[in-house]
Amino acid sequence: MSSKASVQPSPPHAASSAAATATKIVVRAVNKTFARKNDELVVLQDVNLDVAEGEFVCLLGPSGCGKSTLLNIIGGFDAPTTGTVEIDGEPVRGPNPRRVFVFQEYGIFPWASVWDNVALGLRDRPKDEQHRIVDHYIELVGLKGFERAYPAEISGGMKQRVAVARALAVSPDVIFMDEPLGALDSLTRLSMRAEILRIWQQERMTILFVTHDVDEALQLADRIVVMSPRPGRIAEIVPVEMSHPRDVGTAEYGDAKNRLYELLGVSHQF
Amino acid sequence: MSLWPYVVLTLAAVVFVLARHLGDPWPKVLLPVGTAAAFVAGWHLTCEWLAYDLKQLDGTMRHIELFPTPYQTLVGMERPIVDGTLLRYAVASVYRVAVGFTIAALLAIPIGLLAGWHLRAFQAINPLIQALRPISPIAWIPLAVLWFGVKDSSAVFLIALASFFPIVTGTIAGVRSIPLVYVRSAQNFGLEGFELFRRVVLPAAMPQILISLRIALGIAWMVIVAAEMIAVDSGLGYLIMDARNASNYDRVVGAMIAIGLIGVGLDYGMRQLETFDEVRWGFPKESEAVRNWNIRVAIGGSVRLDK
Ligand SMILES: Nc1ncnc2c1ncn2[C@@H]1O[C@H](COP(=O)(O)OP(=O)(O)O)[C@@H](O)[C@H]1O
Ligand SMILES: [Mg+2]
Repeated sequence: MSSKASVQPSPPHAASSAAATATKIVVRAVNKTFARKNDELVVLQDVNLDVAEGEFVCLLGPSGCGKSTLLNIIGGFDAPTTGTVEIDGEPVRGPNPRRVFVFQEYGIFPWASVWDNVALGLRDRPKDEQHRIVDHYIELVGLKGFERAYPAEISGGMKQRVAVARALAVSPDVIFMDEPLGALDSLTRLSMRAEILRIWQQERMTILFVTHDVDEALQLADRIVVMSPRPGRIAEIVPVEMSHPRDVGTAEYGDAKNRLYELLGVSHQF
Repeated sequence: MSLWPYVVLTLAAVVFVLARHLGDPWPKVLLPVGTAAAFVAGWHLTCEWLAYDLKQLDGTMRHIELFPTPYQTLVGMERPIVDGTLLRYAVASVYRVAVGFTIAALLAIPIGLLAGWHLRAFQAINPLIQALRPISPIAWIPLAVLWFGVKDSSAVFLIALASFFPIVTGTIAGVRSIPLVYVRSAQNFGLEGFELFRRVVLPAAMPQILISLRIALGIAWMVIVAAEMIAVDSGLGYLIMDARNASNYDRVVGAMIAIGLIGVGLDYGMRQLETFDEVRWGFPKESEAVRNWNIRVAIGGSVRLDK
């Protein structure tokens, strides 16, 4: 387990050290079972994870291994059967505007314009402040000129930009992304990936990013949490030492990729 | 025997052929006009075919007509149109529907939102609603007259009853089918209580609420005629009953047509609500239907099914 220092009142398990980053998220011994007709389905088994503040962590695993379930538990949309999740040393009790989700199905409201969607989390702020922030993030995600458009009138990639802008507008400490680019075509996915990375480097919030795409994880993450299915467990946590921008042609990248495929138990030589 | 129906049918056939070769917007205008003209011509011809001569006991012949022709219908409506009865009765019917429908909507939408959102509320009241729903509003007429007398309030009550169930059922279904991701987004950004309803639950369910309102208005318009036949002494339903009692079947059919035309107008008014920005996402676009048709034509699928 990586122990990180804390500048805030430190949680009991986080030993102080000289490092400047705090542990943001602590997942301890989390189990999750869903009741079925006759038995129960163990979806998560003994999951332990620490995420440092400002870290970009990818959850990687085949579909059905419990990635969404884990993210929903950390985000407060679901409770673990046993175990604890703490953020900033406080147990998670529910969703919180400081920690925002970006869903694969976008989750932006089709009945509201792009501008109103981005302003969702700012509704209690003064009007001029709303305008300043919303306009800023709409510009940041490249949607200037589409403020008055409705989601039905824009492409999937643009919808996901709206969701990202809506999340950024509240200046969250943590962004949870559950396969946010999964519904996009591969070219749009690449450019959105680069944009998410650029925004993260600029704002340095903590990002927990679920994906089943090995390249996506390798291009984005500081650390990759590889999960194995049935029951969902953390197989290994792989740190990615390469600095950004990452060159996908290097031997280091290739080795890391091989290692991940191996951990996932998939053959990838054709 | 008249010649004009055959002329009209021929013209309609020409219009149908023509419409296939003309570009938009001509088919959209010509096709319904052609269909309506053909319907009127067919109506007239049917009347002629159904009429027969009956030899009476005294040996004289009597011409029996079973159904008024379009022209007879028009003539039969002349007096109610000219003396203003038709307008007065139409206003009376629309007024009763408007009041009853509004009362129903004001009750049904909040109840539907609550029962759609809250599982326990749903479990408590949905069985009762589903048990009351199949009782035809017509079955309530005796009670309505007993409670409210032969007055407007009787008809309004029946209309409210008829409109309530489609609206409440549609609203419940609308709320229950809100995708989880919208609710989670709302919770994530701290929306709760009344604000959650105003900003997410209501707008998310709104397309389906509008559909249920449209269905309810259609049912209300059907029920008002039945209600007015018994429970009041004015309105289009009363006009039909009154004309029947006078054996004036021209006017019976004329009143039926008036009911149909006003119904189209009411439905058109309701549909205008679907064009608002806040709900347009929940309705199929006409342009999409046209595009899909063009694609089907391009692959020859729907034009020549025999190929
Ligand atoms: N609410 C639920 N009730 C029952 N089973 C569930 C529920 N949510 C998820 N599961 C099951 O848990 C497993 C993991 O699901 P999920 O976390 O969505 O996987 P992933 O996101 O990795 O694809 C799946 O087998 C899924 O069917
Ligand atoms: Mg998932």
